[in-house]
Amino acid sequence: MTEVTLVATPSLEGKRLAFALAEDRVAHYPEFRDFFVRTFDLDRKGLTEPGFVRTSSGNLYAFIFIGRSGAPFPSGLEIYGVVDALEPVDGAVLDRDLWSILRWVIGGVGAPWTVEDFDRTGRLYRLPAASAA
Amino acid sequence: MSAHLESELPAALRGQWSYEPRYANVNGWRMHYIDEGKGDPVVLLHGNPTWGFLYRKMIPLLVGSGRRVVVPDMIGFGLSEKPTREDAHSLDGHTANLTALMRGLDLTRIALVCHDWGGPTGLSFAMSNSARVRALTIMSTWAWPLPPAEFHTRIFPWRMMHAPLVGPYLLGNHRALAGRGVYLSVVDREQFARTAQYAYEAVLPDPASRLLTWVWPRWIPLDENARAYERFKWLEQELSRSKLPALIVWGREDEVFDAATFSERFKQMLPHAEGPHLVTGRHFLQEDSGTEIAALIDSFLRRLDANEGKQ
Repeated sequence: MTEVTLVATPSLEGKRLAFALAEDRVAHYPEFRDFFVRTFDLDRKGLTEPGFVRTSSGNLYAFIFIGRSGAPFPSGLEIYGVVDALEPVDGAVLDRDLWSILRWVIGGVGAPWTVEDFDRTGRLYRLPAASAA
Repeated sequence: MSAHLESELPAALRGQWSYEPRYANVNGWRMHYIDEGKGDPVVLLHGNPTWGFLYRKMIPLLVGSGRRVVVPDMIGFGLSEKPTREDAHSLDGHTANLTALMRGLDLTRIALVCHDWGGPTGLSFAMSNSARVRALTIMSTWAWPLPPAEFHTRIFPWRMMHAPLVGPYLLGNHRALAGRGVYLSVVDREQFARTAQYAYEAVLPDPASRLLTWVWPRWIPLDENARAYERFKWLEQELSRSKLPALIVWGREDEVFDAATFSERFKQMLPHAEGPHLVTGRHFLQEDSGTEIAALIDSFLRRLDANEGKQ
C-alpha cells in the first residue's frame, strides 16, 4: 500500500496551514532536491503553487518550496498540515504522518538511500513511529 | 543566579552547575560562559550537542590547582543564544564567536581544551591567534579535510540522521542526538541517564532550539566540494607547523573518532605532543573520566610551568 500519494490542489476554504517541519537546506544531499523537483514538477511550476500529498491517515499536507538567491531552486522546504481552521493538531498523528512522509521521500530519492536504513535509524533512536516499521 | 538561568536550568541540576552565569555579546550573538578562579586561563570547549556542563567534573579541580577556568557555551547550545536559521551557523562564524570572547576577555597564555566541534573551532582560533595561546589539549575531534571517520561516510545511521527533512525531524522533533545520541556515546550509561542526560536535554527544550545538532553534522566535509573543505585544509597545514605544547587525550572506547586512527593522526601532526593518553570513555569521555582528564591537564600544565620557570 502506498502510504503517501500526490493530490491535486485542494480547496483551502475553512482550513489553515499548520506548520509541521522545515528544512533550510534541501540540497545538502542534492538527490533530495532532485526528488522534489521531479515529483512536484518544480522546473515548470516554480513558486506558483504548493505541492500537496495525502497520508494513509487521510490527512493532507502542503509542501511549500523556498527559493534563495544564488542557490538552485528549491533551496528549502516547509511542510504544513492542512487542517480545520480552528482545530488543534493531534501531535501523535502528526508525528506518524511525518514519519510516513519521510519514508516516502527516502524511497523516492532512491539508492543508496533506503527505507530500510531510515527505519533502522528510527529504531536506533527509539522513535515511536519507528516501532511499527 | 539570573532569572534567565533559573528558567533554563532544571532545579535538580543546579547543585551540579552552580557557577555564576556570564554573558557576552560576541560577533552579534549572546554567549553564555563561566569564568572561575584566578591564574593562567584554561578554556574548555565543548562540541555537538553539549554545553559547559560536560566539564563539570573538571572545573573544580582545575580551579583548585590555581587556574582561571573559562567555559563558553557555543552559540546555539547550552545557555547561549540559539539562532533559528541554518545559515546563522558556519564553521568560520563559530570560530569568530570564540575569537570575540577571547579578545573581549583579553585572555592570553590560554591553555585551550578542545573536544568535538570545539576542535575545529578552537584550533582555528588558536592557529589564527597564536600569540594568545599557550598550549593545546585535544580530545575526540579532528582537524583535517578528508576523510572523516568511516562512521561519517555511512548512511546508517550518520548521514541518514541529518539528511534533508530527516535532520529536523529526528534530531529536532525527537532530539535524537541531545538525548539518546549522547547516552549511546558514554561508557557508564546508567549513571549518565541518572545524573546527566537531563542536563543536555533541558537546555535544548524545543525542536527549533536543537537546530545546531543537525547543522554541525552537515559541516563535516565528505568530499573536496564540501563547504568547509578549504578551512580544514588550512587548519591541517597550520596545525602541522605549530610548535605549541600539546596534550592528546582519548577515550579508549571511542567508536566515532576511534583512538587508533584519530589520536595517532594528531600525534603525527604534533609529534612533540604528550600522549595520547587513553582513558575510559566513548566520544563524550569527560562524562566517564572527567576527574582523570583534569588531572592529566593539570599535570601537563605544571610541567609547562616548571619548564618556563627554568628558562
